[in-house]
Amino acid sequence: MLDPLSNSLDRYMTLVSVRQKLVASNVANADTPGYKTQDIDFESELHNAAAGTSPVVNTVPGLRVKNDGNNVDLDREARLLAENALRFSVASNLLRTQLKTVRMAIEGGSSAS
Amino acid sequence: MTPISPIRLPNLPEPLASSGVAGSAGSSFGNLLHSAIQHVEASSASADAAVKNYISGGPQELHSTILATQSAELDFEMFLQVRNKVVSAYEEIMRMQV
Amino acid sequence: MSLFSTISVSASGMTAQRQRAEVLVENIANADTTRTAGGGPYRRQDVVFQSQQVSSPFSSVFQSQLDPQATGVAISQVVVDQSEPERRYLPGHPDADKDGYVAVPKVNPAEDMVDLLGASRAYQANVSAISAVKDMIQRSIDLFR
Repeated sequence: MLDPLSNSLDRYMTLVSVRQKLVASNVANADTPGYKTQDIDFESELHNAAAGTSPVVNTVPGLRVKNDGNNVDLDREARLLAENALRFSVASNLLRTQLKTVRMAIEGGSSAS
Repeated sequence: MTPISPIRLPNLPEPLASSGVAGSAGSSFGNLLHSAIQHVEASSASADAAVKNYISGGPQELHSTILATQSAELDFEMFLQVRNKVVSAYEEIMRMQV
Repeated sequence: MSLFSTISVSASGMTAQRQRAEVLVENIANADTTRTAGGGPYRRQDVVFQSQQVSSPFSSVFQSQLDPQATGVAISQVVVDQSEPERRYLPGHPDADKDGYVAVPKVNPAEDMVDLLGASRAYQANVSAISAVKDMIQRSIDLFR
């Protein structure tokens, strides 16, 4: 029953999860000497048709490097944390509505089935 | 006086052998059910694989696993409804006075 | 599985920041300690952060490999300052040597206070991360209904 929209939402939620995992890793390593902020290229991974592959993790350019070689910006990570949480919430609601709609179509409006 | 022409029966089709009717109807219903069963089995098998992959710590995500199981459940529900409709339609046809 | 290993990552961050805060608090509390059990003044301590891959919580049961995207952290060692202590001229001090100098700890309380604030903020950030991820897991489970 997986229509293309559900597949896209599935892929979207997976990418957001991976991104959130990297944000958590960055936050945990905010004081680790030499650690570089990690992220994925969300847009290109989303348009990448090969849904089974793991997204490519890159280091983020353009961040200020501290004296110990660490370049984690807690403000950036806090912003991404909130953003990813919201995106995931939207996608999961859309997916839930999809499933509910299909279920209703199958049951044809009858509650006992 | 015009000649009386014999009554001509309209062209009735040849009555099909009863086994023929049941045979063709049965095979089309059977095919329908068979393909539906196969689809449900495949969907359920992929959901099982997703769950196995998830609990053994593979790269499968939680939401993907849940989506697969929900999808299999919907496939099964759809199959049930189709089966019910098909069976009741069949029974209705069988009930018809011929 | 990856969302659960994310919680492990943030938990490791919390642990590391807490240990860092403990060490800083000890430094601040002992900023004026001229006499320790081992003799001599208090020697300041510093923590060393190091990245550490975390394994998912189920891995011990199901033998899964480490998650390459989940980079946690740990305090690899607590370094005790081994350099010569500072010497300050305080002739009346009970620990003064024959020249009137006292060996005092090399602790700058103001600096460590600021550091402590940083540790507190980083700890809070890890807590926020766990909270956000927990919400995402809950929403995934809500797909059932």
